[in-house]
Parts: sequence; C-alpha cells; structure tokens
Amino acid sequence: MIECKNITKVFNQNKRNEQTALKNINLEIKSGELVVLKGASGSGKSTLLSLIAALSKPTIGEMVVDDKRVSKMPDNFTAMFRRQNIGFIFQKYNLISTLSSYENIILPTIPSNPDEIELDKRVDELLKMFDITSKKESHIKNLSGGEQQRVAIARALINNPKIIIADEPTANLDEKLSLEFIDIIKELKQQKRTIIIATHDPLFFNLDFVDRVIEMKDGQILCS
Amino acid sequence: MNHFLIGFAISSLFRRGAKSFFTIFIFTSLIFLLSSILFISNSIKEELFITLKSLPQITVQKLQAGRHTNIEISKIDKLLKLNGVQSAIPRIWGYYYFEKAGVNFSIVGIDSFDKQYKKSFEAIVKDVDFDELYKNNSMIVGEGVDKVLRENYYQGVFNFIKPDGELKKIKIASTFKSATALESNDIILMPKDLVLEIFGMNKNEVTDIVLEIANPEEIPTIAKKIKNLFPDSKVITNSDLRVSYQNIFDYKSGMFLALFIISAFTFFMIVYDKASGLSSEEKREIGILKALGWKIDDVLKAKFYEAFVVSFISFLVGVMLALFFVYTLQAPLLKDIFIGYSRLKPVFDLPFAFDFQTLFLLFFLTIPIYIAAIIIPSWRVASMNADEVMR
Repeated sequence: MIECKNITKVFNQNKRNEQTALKNINLEIKSGELVVLKGASGSGKSTLLSLIAALSKPTIGEMVVDDKRVSKMPDNFTAMFRRQNIGFIFQKYNLISTLSSYENIILPTIPSNPDEIELDKRVDELLKMFDITSKKESHIKNLSGGEQQRVAIARALINNPKIIIADEPTANLDEKLSLEFIDIIKELKQQKRTIIIATHDPLFFNLDFVDRVIEMKDGQILCS
Repeated sequence: MNHFLIGFAISSLFRRGAKSFFTIFIFTSLIFLLSSILFISNSIKEELFITLKSLPQITVQKLQAGRHTNIEISKIDKLLKLNGVQSAIPRIWGYYYFEKAGVNFSIVGIDSFDKQYKKSFEAIVKDVDFDELYKNNSMIVGEGVDKVLRENYYQGVFNFIKPDGELKKIKIASTFKSATALESNDIILMPKDLVLEIFGMNKNEVTDIVLEIANPEEIPTIAKKIKNLFPDSKVITNSDLRVSYQNIFDYKSGMFLALFIISAFTFFMIVYDKASGLSSEEKREIGILKALGWKIDDVLKAKFYEAFVVSFISFLVGVMLALFFVYTLQAPLLKDIFIGYSRLKPVFDLPFAFDFQTLFLLFFLTIPIYIAAIIIPSWRVASMNADEVMR
C-alpha cells in the first residue's frame, strides 16, 4: 500500500523562483493496483512519481509505503528502499549510453554483489521476455528507441520490485511500440505488481486492466 | 570484496578512455619527474657521503697576505710532535690550465713510499700501480681528463708547459675510473717531483699538510694548537670541509627543490581542477545510479576504485620509469642540472640509493590527495537527491 499524506512539494523554497509542484496531495494506492496519472505537462505527475520512488522528499506531508515512512528515511535507507521495492522507468530511459544492454540491466544489482550465475540467468530471462536477447552486448547508443525502452524496463525489473513506476513511458515511441509497451504492462499487472504510470497518452486511459485513472492539474488531484 | 563494483569502476575508466589516458599520462609524468628528482638527489647524497669519508681529518695550509701559499715542509716535524697527531703527510697539488680546451686539471703529486698518502687515494682510485709511475715518469688521469686529451689529439702523452716556458712531456700510464668520480674526474696523479717541476715549486715547500689524528674527538683541540703554533696557518678540519661540500650540495639541491616544487605545484593544480567539479555527464551518471538504488557509499566506493586504479598505476609506472631513467640511463639532462655543464664534468655513475621513506612520502603526498580530489566532488553530488541531480 502506498499512502501520500498531505503532500506538498515546493521547489526553490524561499527563492525568487519558488515553485509549488504539488499542493496537499492525499492518495492511496493498493498493492497490485495499476494507476494511471494523467495531466498536462507541469501538472505535477512526475514530481509525485519521484516522491513515491523516494527520489526526493516532500516539503510538507508524509509518504508511506508498506507502513514504512519513506519520506523520513535517511538517504542510505531510501536507496535500499528503492533498490528492493521500486522499478523506475524514466521518460528518457536514463540509460548509460556507453554501457551495453547487459551492463545497464545489472546496474541496480551491483551494490548487493549478486551471485554471477543467478544474475546471468535473470538477465537472460528478462532479455528473452522483452525480445532483446540479440542486443545483450550491444551498446545503448546502437539501439533503437524501442529497444532502449525495453532495456530500461528490464533494468527496472531486475531486482523483481513490487512497485513499478513509469514516467511518460510512451512519449518517445510510435504507436506500434506504445502498444507493445502496453502489452508488457499488462503482463506485469498479471504478476500482481503495483504499477503507477504518469502519462498524457490517451492510449492508457481506456484500458480494461487499468484500475484507476487519476487526473492532475496544477499540482492537485482533480478526480480519481 | 564486490567484484561487480570493481568491474564497474574499471569499465568506467575504459568508457572515458581519452580522459583516463590523459589523467594517467599527466599523473605518471609528474610522478616520474618527482621521483627522478628524489632518486638523483639521494644518489648524489650517497656519492657525497663516500667522498666525505675519504677527506683528511686536518689540513694545514699557509696564508700570506690573506692568500693560500706554499707551506715549508720543515713544519711537519713540529706537527708530528703534537700529542694525538698520528701522521703528517705533505701534499703537492695545484691546478693546470689547459688553454686549448679551456679547462683546469687538478694535478696531485704522490710518493711511492708514502703508504699513508696512497691510502687516502684508495677510496677513489682502484687497480693502480703507483710504483710504475716513478719508474716511467708517467701519470694517471681521471676519465674526464683522458677524454679532453683525446679530443685534443693527445694519445698516451701530454706536454705540460712549465713556468719557464719549457715543455715537459709526460706519458699517461693509465686512466682511473673511481667510485667517487664527482670529486676525482679532473684529477691527474703523478710523482711529486714531476709536479714540483711543472709548477716550478721549491723542493722545501709543499701545497699543504694533511694530518691523521688518533682520536677524532681531539680534532678541534689539535686544530687550535696548530693555529697557536703557526699563527700564519689556516687549519681546516674535516667538519669544515663537510660544511663546504654540503653547501655546494645544498645549492645544487636547491635547484632540484625548485623543480620539485614546480612539479608538485602542477600536480596540485590538476588535483584542484579535478576537485572543483564533475562533468555534467558524470553528475547525471551518479544521479542515475542513485535512482537505481545505489547508496552514497556505493557511489563513493566505485569512485575510490577508479581513482585508486588511476593513481596507483600512474605511481608504479612513474616510479619504474624514474628508476630506469636515473639508474640505467643515468638521468640524462637532469643529472647535468646538478653537476653543471663543465667540459670536465664528472662522468660518474649515479650510485643506487633507494630510500623507501622518500618513496612512501611521495606515495602519501600524491595518491591520497588525488583520491580525495575525485571522492569529494562525487560525494557532493551523491549527497543530493537523485531527482535533483538528474534534472
């Protein structure tokens, strides 16, 4: 269960360029739920995702995930929390272009010094799942947009996280690749993972397996 | 030991190949320069130490009108009567200016029967039969002298010009290669009578008298007694000579110190440049790693491994190159800074003097500083929210 309690996020607080990205957000997302956050650019979707993923902390309020107050955790604990619980698919994928697909996928596992054989097995599984086995040793810069996104998804799933967060996942994809991504999400939903997607792509709004579509505007939740 | 983390750190170096190569190149060059300076300095200190050991305990000279002049040989008897004086050896030496080459030779006269005198040369001259010199009216020359003579077409013989203008032809019996060539490279050894003839000196006079003292503790007291006995004398103890040699060495090592400071300054400038920030690509990468669940210390460990590999490889290569440069190639150019550019400059080999203490000092002055210069900006970035770094 993810709980956002009275969340307010202000950037550049007490500076001339102060900006309130989220205003008093209250939200509950149940385990295994697939939630789509919709709204125009600047509505606060990405900020909310980064707070849920503990990438940043709220200015006011509290973020609770599985009864853990992640917004109050020290930096090293939030890192552990992310590694064990969160798979984040970034809008621009945030892959390291000079590394191979394999090297990018294993990045979240490196600090825990995994067993090499088991890790290779898991990577092969994911590569096969996303049909990019042949791209295992290819450098990211040599992959197409769709392939890069699959590597990003594989990386998000390598630690088998309970929560998958995707920020504008189809923003850089054509319709065919977007539909392929939706198929992947459907499969992850079937695996009972909690999925939160921030998007303004209409493809997501009428999917039968989406549990809720939450609309955001000017840092506030309009309707859920 | 997390070999994935080490692997990631090493692969990061390869990914930034040009930058890594440049850093290693600069770091290696500076370590090479710094350690070469230290090795040469240690080596020359060692050479100096050997030279100092062979210096006479007391040298008595005569002063006239404030200048060094020849001393009467008769004074030896009075000197020998002083308590504690074990031996008194008259020395005949001087400088001969070879105009054609524009160099000065140091000519030293020796006695075949004078065992003590020969002993004083034992440290610097090896495998020379002094008796042969007398029989053949010949001389032994240092390597530098031999080289200059050869360059001026003197093969096996040299014509000295005496004060009256007459020529004195003297054969070269052999050339000596000494262990302390720094001091003896310009020396010519020949029988005392020949030296007296070449310099036009009176047979009752010598250049100076060197004394051997039974108890080295008594040297200052005996020096005072001599001064009282011969008020017109200049008494030089081995500690006076040591100071004067040391002064020359310190003057030269000052130049080395300047070079050392310049190299160290360059090193710290590079370190400062590194410490003042990371590239936007490096910052973004740290942000990604944090977003993927890396802790601050995971990021710092990776950066530590990167910096350690770069600095340690550079240090090892730099020191190895310096060892090869100084002791195998005999430090071309750098050695000249110390020994000067005289045509008769010593052709001595730098003796191997490896000072671990200095090397440790160099290690701890460079590697931890470089690692800190990498770690500190990375720590600054890694301490920020991942979201903030990636934005």
